[in-house]
Amino acid sequence: RCQLSPPHRALQASAVLRRVSDEQKETLASSSQQQFDSHPTDHQPEQELQGPRPSYTGQGGQESEDYESEEQLQHRILTAALEFVPEHGWTAEAIAEGAKTLGLSAAAAGMFHNDGSELILHFVSQCNTKLSELLEQEQKLVQLGEAEKKPTDQFLRDAVQARLRMLIPYIEKWPQALSILLLPHNIPSSLNLLTSMIDDIWHYAGDQSTDFNWYTRRAVLTGIYNTTELVMMQDSSPDFEDTWRFLENRVADAMNMGNTANQVQSTGEAVVQGLMGAAVTVSN
Amino acid sequence: GGVSLRRCSTREGLQGVNRPVVERIIRVDHAGEYGANRIYAGQMAVLGRSSVGPVIQQMWNQEKDHLKKFNELMVAYRVRPTVLLPFWNVAGFVLGAGSALLGKKGAMACTVAVEESISDHYNSQIRTLMEEDPEKYKELLQVIKQFRDDEREHHDIGLEHDAEAAPAYSVLKTAIQLGCKAAIFLSERI
Repeated sequence: RCQLSPPHRALQASAVLRRVSDEQKETLASSSQQQFDSHPTDHQPEQELQGPRPSYTGQGGQESEDYESEEQLQHRILTAALEFVPEHGWTAEAIAEGAKTLGLSAAAAGMFHNDGSELILHFVSQCNTKLSELLEQEQKLVQLGEAEKKPTDQFLRDAVQARLRMLIPYIEKWPQALSILLLPHNIPSSLNLLTSMIDDIWHYAGDQSTDFNWYTRRAVLTGIYNTTELVMMQDSSPDFEDTWRFLENRVADAMNMGNTANQVQSTGEAVVQGLMGAAVTVSN
Repeated sequence: GGVSLRRCSTREGLQGVNRPVVERIIRVDHAGEYGANRIYAGQMAVLGRSSVGPVIQQMWNQEKDHLKKFNELMVAYRVRPTVLLPFWNVAGFVLGAGSALLGKKGAMACTVAVEESISDHYNSQIRTLMEEDPEKYKELLQVIKQFRDDEREHHDIGLEHDAEAAPAYSVLKTAIQLGCKAAIFLSERI
């Protein structure tokens, strides 16, 4: 790779950005992707492009549609950076490498915090989106009658397993990521991502509770997810079978807890009725 | 009311809707109907066998329908219920039973106070939604308007049954309405 002096690099970066926006204009005009093959240099950004991307927050801002917003650019850099995480960890180095594969200067990593927080949050958000899409597809299959509706415990087990398996390529560096997610300035975002993922799983599992159960179910599943994740960090069995067995046991415990709670309630009601009967008898 | 619901099962299907506003509205209305249910349950526990029993029972049945509707809306819009539900469970029952222990007029006074608070509250929600986008929120507006009319009817029934002759009517009414305001404030947020 030839070393460009800083002004050339900046020019190259802005040229790439302009080309990116031109390509998006062409995509919108012709709605085909054949144009990309005709561009002679820098194939990386072309392969990344697939038309206008949804931005992180869902509100693209006031920019016109054919201009890539800063958020979209940041997304692309972070996605590209994931490839380098197994080697460099969740660090600014990985982000710099990612930026370089997009033809941008390594200084683009300066857009982000030093501790790699945004990279990790981006990854978690991406995994959650993938999980939602997976669950949505499964739901469609069930609705079309092409698949059987799973019992709740199996559904939860499969959903949690699918989500945790997304960590496997990055498992060596995941403990580092977990500790960064627990830093005070990251906790609001990481908590938000965790709760919406758990809510999604329960939603697709068919939870329709509108009473306090809404909270108990989500709390229980969060506990199951977090503990299973921790077990996975320590697991060295082939294909993490120990982790999946642990998960199965925890989900079974949770189901039993639900049954026990019902039994306790029925017993309580029976006891109260018995006492009322006794009171009536005594007063007569 | 016979309002059909579009099933919005994914977060994407709910875009275009002002989530924070709609979530608050559904959460607090659900809590309100739940509380109203418990109030009437408390009143029935004390006055069930008296002459106003059937009247209270009928109003209670309507509240049950309201609660059922909000349960459906809550699932359709994927809104979380207020964490204070167990508290409203007890507080509602205690308020209903307590006001009923003051006599039939006391129970009616409680009904008047609560229903007035609720219909004012529904009115301000209707205003908010109309300001946002009457077309987008057509279903929700229809439901809230219908329920607002029902609550006003309950309010008038309470007045017809001599609520104003209850002991310490104005003090009772003010205290209950203050409690309702606090409950609304909290349920919107937590």
